[in-house]
Amino acid sequence: MNWFNLSDNVNLLSIIGAIVIVLTVFIVAGNAFNQMKKNKSNAELAEHTWDGIGEYKNPLPLGWALMFVLLILFALWYFLIGYPLNKYSSIGEYNESVQEFNAKYDAKYSSLDDDKKIQMGERLFTLHCAPCHGLTGDGINGKAQDLTVWGSVDGILNTLEHGSTGLGYGEMPAGLVEGEDAKLIAEFIVKGNEKGKELFAENCASCHGDNAEGIEDVAPALNVYGKAEFIANVLRSGKDAPSDASVKVIGRMPSFIHALSANQIDALSRYVSTLSKE
Amino acid sequence: MFSWLEKNPFFFAVFVFVVIAYAGLVEILPAFAPNARPIENRKPYTALEIAGRQVYIKESCNACHSQLIRPFKAETDRYGEYSKSGEYAYDRPFLWGSKRTGPDLMRVGNYRTTDWHENHMKLPTSVVPNSIMPSYPHLFNKDADLQTAYAEALTVKKVFNVPYDEEGQTKLGSYEEALKMMVEQATPIVDAMNDASVKAAFEPCKKDPSASNCEIKEIVALIAYLNSLK
Repeated sequence: MNWFNLSDNVNLLSIIGAIVIVLTVFIVAGNAFNQMKKNKSNAELAEHTWDGIGEYKNPLPLGWALMFVLLILFALWYFLIGYPLNKYSSIGEYNESVQEFNAKYDAKYSSLDDDKKIQMGERLFTLHCAPCHGLTGDGINGKAQDLTVWGSVDGILNTLEHGSTGLGYGEMPAGLVEGEDAKLIAEFIVKGNEKGKELFAENCASCHGDNAEGIEDVAPALNVYGKAEFIANVLRSGKDAPSDASVKVIGRMPSFIHALSANQIDALSRYVSTLSKE
Repeated sequence: MFSWLEKNPFFFAVFVFVVIAYAGLVEILPAFAPNARPIENRKPYTALEIAGRQVYIKESCNACHSQLIRPFKAETDRYGEYSKSGEYAYDRPFLWGSKRTGPDLMRVGNYRTTDWHENHMKLPTSVVPNSIMPSYPHLFNKDADLQTAYAEALTVKKVFNVPYDEEGQTKLGSYEEALKMMVEQATPIVDAMNDASVKAAFEPCKKDPSASNCEIKEIVALIAYLNSLK
């Protein structure tokens, strides 16, 4: 008997309203029948007839006439002033739903463990990154950075071989270090292999900093190479090389700062950092 | 009171229409006027973008792609900020589309780039494995119709007072000036593309925009238009 739950205001009002309407109908109808039985009209007939059916020239019932005028006035007020033109907006509803969702999302995100965050990043990757980097992150035959190689020793070797530009720092020319030295440096950056440390200090530190922490406006930090932080930076800044760059770049990557919230960038970065196979 | 109306069905119908239309007027008109104005910082399309827009219309991209982001979280997550009516002020005709077979393109300039569009038009499945979009190789061979694009820009400037050449708005100028600006806008796009024939056809433009052998291909104009959608 859910519908007869009288503790619900709307139900109670509806039931009361229904009873009032039924009672009113009976009283008014009874009245009308009584009048038809007893009353004899002494009013004149109007001169206008409709196919022989006439009409008495009774004055308007005062109550009815008053009601009629009031209702017209109410209608004018309601249309022009009272109608809730500005009471509801779909944009307002949208904003509320987004706020509600984001609050829930952020609360939930902070309670997730690392694996779950990576899973979340994977879904975001499918939507925002796969169109260029491919579903597996392999860059679809060189259409974008191969993320399964980037972040590994081979990734550094690639960069050393081809050079790099576009992150908002200067240009890094191709072929700065080659052969065995390059391998040692790459292993030092990616795995912390001590053998490459001196080579790094000789060849790279002048731009990337003594501890590979990067130098502002000169070169990015390499101590986070292949890790989520580095990827988060790329997602924020995009990768946009000038069209006359001497270094061959694949293409332009837009910034995703407008498409992703801070937590989404975090999740996505974690996922991408798991792609490189080492 | 209304017996005269009851005897005249035509005027009765007119009266009914007026009564019913009234509700529409008080609901729609007050919001309509301000919203039909161009939103702040919205600039008219450059001539090259109009040429690309004509390619977009000619190829009926709007049959599968919409340009209207509705204010629902699922849509704004994927496509960006929802659309506002003032953003369509310079869209003649509008390209809202009515069905999404492919994704919405209202803000595609924010998350796709020149080289991606090039791959996508050449062979859509090369970047989107499940795409059912056909490839458009002819865009790489045909020249964009720059004269018609300029004529359209000039027409809307004169007839609808679209604010070309005004302070802080898109420049249009004479046809020669417009050609120069089109080549300027096309240069970084062609540089970012890989197609050799498009590059070769564009080479003479860099020296002399009004040279007879200066060819801006349809794909370049289309990418200029898509990159401008933000």
